[in-house]
Amino acid sequence: MQRYQVILQRLLHLLPVLFGISLVSFLLVQLIPGDPVRLLVGPRATEEVVAAVRERYGLDQPLLQQYLTYLGNLFQGDLGQSIVYRKPVGELIMERLPRTLFLAIYVICITIPSTIFLAITAARHQGRKIDHIITTSAVFGITIPVFWLGIMMARLFGVEFGWFPVSGYGNTFFGHLHHLFLPALSTAIWMVPVLVRNLRSAILEQMEADYVVAGRSKGLPEQYLFYYHILKNSIMPTLNLFGVMVAVLFGGTVIVEKVYAVPGLGDLMISSIFGRDYFVVQAITLFFAVVTITVTLAVDIISTIIDPRVKL
Amino acid sequence: MGRSKNTQGTTTPLLSVENLEVAFDSVNGKVHAVRGMSFSVGEGEIVGIVGESGSGKSVACRSVLGLLPSYASIDGQVLFEGSNIIGQHEDELRKIRGKQISMIFQNPASHLDPLMTNGQQIGEALRYHFNQDSRKARAEGIELLKAVGITDPEQTFDAYPHQLSGGMKQRVLIACAIACRPKLLLADEPTTALDVTVQARILDLLRALNQDRNLSIVLVSHDLGVIAEICQRVVVVHNGLIVEQGKIEDIVSTPKHPYTQMLIDSQPAVKARKSCEKPKIELDPELSEQPPNLLSVENLRVNSRTSRGFLDFLRHRKTSGLVRAVDGVSFKVRQGEIFGIVGESGSGKSTVALAITKLVSPSEGQVLFHNKSIMELRGDELTNYRRSVQMVFQNPYDSLNPRFTVAQTIGEPLLKYSLATKTKCADRIDELMELVDLSIDLRHRRPRQLSGGQCQRVGIARALAMKPEFLIADEVTSALDVSIQAQILALLERLRDKINLTILYISHDLAVVQMFCQRVAVFRAGRLVEIGPVDEVLTRPKEKYTQTLVNSAPQLHFSASLPAH
Amino acid sequence: MSLRNLPTTLIVGAGIFLMWLVVALCSPLLMGTDPNALNFEALLQRPNINHLFGTDHLGRDILTRVIYAGRIDIWMGFAGVLPALIIGTLFGLMAGYFGGVVEAVLMRVTDVTVAFPFFVLVLAIVAVLGPGLTNFFIAIAAVGWVSYARLIRAEVLVVKNAEYVLAAKILGYHPLFIAFRHVLPNVLAPIIVYAMTDAVLVILFGASLGFLGLGVQPPTAEWGVMIANGQPYVTEAWWICLFPGLATVTLGLGFSLIGDGLAKHLRIKN
Repeated sequence: MQRYQVILQRLLHLLPVLFGISLVSFLLVQLIPGDPVRLLVGPRATEEVVAAVRERYGLDQPLLQQYLTYLGNLFQGDLGQSIVYRKPVGELIMERLPRTLFLAIYVICITIPSTIFLAITAARHQGRKIDHIITTSAVFGITIPVFWLGIMMARLFGVEFGWFPVSGYGNTFFGHLHHLFLPALSTAIWMVPVLVRNLRSAILEQMEADYVVAGRSKGLPEQYLFYYHILKNSIMPTLNLFGVMVAVLFGGTVIVEKVYAVPGLGDLMISSIFGRDYFVVQAITLFFAVVTITVTLAVDIISTIIDPRVKL
Repeated sequence: MGRSKNTQGTTTPLLSVENLEVAFDSVNGKVHAVRGMSFSVGEGEIVGIVGESGSGKSVACRSVLGLLPSYASIDGQVLFEGSNIIGQHEDELRKIRGKQISMIFQNPASHLDPLMTNGQQIGEALRYHFNQDSRKARAEGIELLKAVGITDPEQTFDAYPHQLSGGMKQRVLIACAIACRPKLLLADEPTTALDVTVQARILDLLRALNQDRNLSIVLVSHDLGVIAEICQRVVVVHNGLIVEQGKIEDIVSTPKHPYTQMLIDSQPAVKARKSCEKPKIELDPELSEQPPNLLSVENLRVNSRTSRGFLDFLRHRKTSGLVRAVDGVSFKVRQGEIFGIVGESGSGKSTVALAITKLVSPSEGQVLFHNKSIMELRGDELTNYRRSVQMVFQNPYDSLNPRFTVAQTIGEPLLKYSLATKTKCADRIDELMELVDLSIDLRHRRPRQLSGGQCQRVGIARALAMKPEFLIADEVTSALDVSIQAQILALLERLRDKINLTILYISHDLAVVQMFCQRVAVFRAGRLVEIGPVDEVLTRPKEKYTQTLVNSAPQLHFSASLPAH
Repeated sequence: MSLRNLPTTLIVGAGIFLMWLVVALCSPLLMGTDPNALNFEALLQRPNINHLFGTDHLGRDILTRVIYAGRIDIWMGFAGVLPALIIGTLFGLMAGYFGGVVEAVLMRVTDVTVAFPFFVLVLAIVAVLGPGLTNFFIAIAAVGWVSYARLIRAEVLVVKNAEYVLAAKILGYHPLFIAFRHVLPNVLAPIIVYAMTDAVLVILFGASLGFLGLGVQPPTAEWGVMIANGQPYVTEAWWICLFPGLATVTLGLGFSLIGDGLAKHLRIKN
């Protein structure tokens, strides 16, 4: 199978998933108890306004029709209107997106090198002290609540030491780096342990592999065997896990933005939930899902490049 | 079938192993895998090491190159060209590995890195030992692939391991091993995982390399027949000790140690030869007609479908990957006989068994049991059929539920089919265990606490609980040591006589089939190639494929007086 | 199956968990004080003899609240995991063993569910249904069963080709009997391990929701809620946030170590 054929196949498989996601997002709002129109316009709106809104969003039509209207709106980029901000939701998302994106990329930049370094160190020194330290820290890392860690770190490094600001986003690029360091670190501390455990265990498994013994029997040095054979074969399962973790990362940003008052998408989602701004909630959920699928697709494509065995 | 050059003179042997001892640290204390082995290999010699599993032969092989794990402790001397390898520093060892002494292994698939092309893996050693640049390494790699008999070396060089068959993968491994022109090749069971015909060709390749390059070879195997094919001398190993060693002809014709004798006797080829000399009394001579047909397979076709990708559908690929696992097969099994089916992997022999046991439905054809079609059986009739036809499988540990005790495994069919009341059940289980020579003390053991042979006996007892008339044995001895294999086959023969069983024996091992079965059918790629009494088909085969198959099977040569193929 | 053969992690983990269980269940007996009792005399007190963990902005004793909150968070570990585990196992077993429509549907549902970040989807469902512990459990079950189903299905696909399953089919047993009696017990092991990790995640999510104000509602004590309450005072009265957090970590550690220990133990058995 040619590479491009595999990619095409994956893309084709995406279509039903995309439909599924839009369906779920659509149904979310349907689950809200009470009259959605009332929620939209507020209790004091007149009957004419109610009727107009109902017609605009097709809320008086059968469910299937509503769904199709929703899909149609989606394709035109109309994600609805925010009640609280009185703006199109799409605009709101675009405003907030860069900050969350910056935070996410920041987290990834911290996570990937640390994971690789820690996992390799632990695996190469298996059973010795450094390995025990790393694996024990990993066990702790998984159980720490991100928001608590965030608060504690803010208290320690932000207030006590005054090294970092504890809220906001900053105004310059370096301002962003400065403001977002603690939030990014908190999230990374939560993600790294799972990835390290996974990668370390994959490396240890590959170290026992038969082809390593065969390579050794050819007289190849251990260092070469480690980096050119073992490491390459260990990346695959961790890559998949990383794809999954990105989804978790978005969940993390929601909380972290609240703790550190970063005005990003996560913060918007929370305030929209409290503000009963349902279209915003729906749109952000859909957005996160689309991003997750894109990341998963990218991971899949990278997998086919690395591993020639990957078929349909 | 010429023997390779034998240059045993008074010169120092190439490899000299003296008093080798290897022990492993484990949770239960020290395990002594090798307890004092001494043997030598001369220049240009092929020496075989034969022993059953756990004898320490593979461990001895790996210790020569220092490839044992860190929890192994080695004692003794391994002299290569006069200097001791044991205890040398890794840097020194690396100069020897691949360059002076190389190794090939049992499972070629797992010993090749799936993420690297074949060519890169051959070139590694060249680049490391000789500092060759990639162009030279590529040219030489392609030459090597030609030398090991690969028909399109350029394509194979750039391909990945998973795109090759088992035999080709092993050739690639051999190419890796001989790349730097070593003096000695250690071959650890290199053909065990391969089909018989492929095995024969790989052994031919090894013999050719020995002759062309004066390459000494140490061939480790559990199969004395394989050893006898190309080795000049053989070392017999049991429980970590060398039991006997010497020239292959001497060992095989006049073994001095009882263990060697047992190994030779267990060889099905030997048994077959011995039984050839006795008249086979399979039918009551008073009977003027043959026993009725118990099972009849007519024009059986079984298709397995490989899934079509969505893109194949778009491009209107008609051949949606339809594999004809069984392609129009017909044969009959008479009551009370032992009927064999031989074939290599992919021949469809196991699929026929699945069709007979109704685990797969045929797309065409009939299976008749007692002259009644089994296709449309329902309800009680189906239950009766199930009770009459049972099966025993290949992998002893996989064929038993790991969470069930022996008593539970054997007792389950008894209780489900009310073949014994709850009170009588325990007695019946004991009966069945005794029937298969299994000590009743083992009733509360789980599979991982049993040996392979014991697990197979449990599988047989479970099948017998249903009091079947027809038993299918699908490669039931392939995963067992030769001595255990002989015991299980003897058991099956006894059962056949005792409880009037008809046996369908499926195997890839011609020698076993020759010894054990009365009639045989030869399968190839889903078709029946030849069928007839076992002596006729296997000693005077008519079809070309059968002839190839028979010629590829390793034979034991006692002496020059016995007919050699 | 003596205790000595079990790995240390399992024992330590079980120990921690049992300790919490006992403490939480016996909380009324242990702590004389009412966790919700307001005491305006003792606002924001540092940890002292009377109040080992200090008091919060309403004068409530932190230690008592932490222990009472433990009951809720332990309950989250169970009630969040069990429904998802049971539903997921059943679906995964049917899909893996029988294939067909069930499998096709399961795979589609899985693909779609997995596309959403877990927490975001739970959040969205809670947003729609309203805050509270019950709605949290509904949301977790609705989203979480998918992971179990996937795991079970993957294991079943391997086991169903085992020779002992073939033997059972040839012995003519009913397919449902084979699925439940032969296949299921042999696929449960990795699920139990995963369930432990899942329990930790559920507790963390529950606490997060509490922190955000969408979970357990005040005045009920819950670790996440307590941390949220303490956040405005973290500069002067850091103890309000510290102890609930430590409690979450230790309980999570207990579950996590049990999971690790079980994994090690089961691997050794094989």
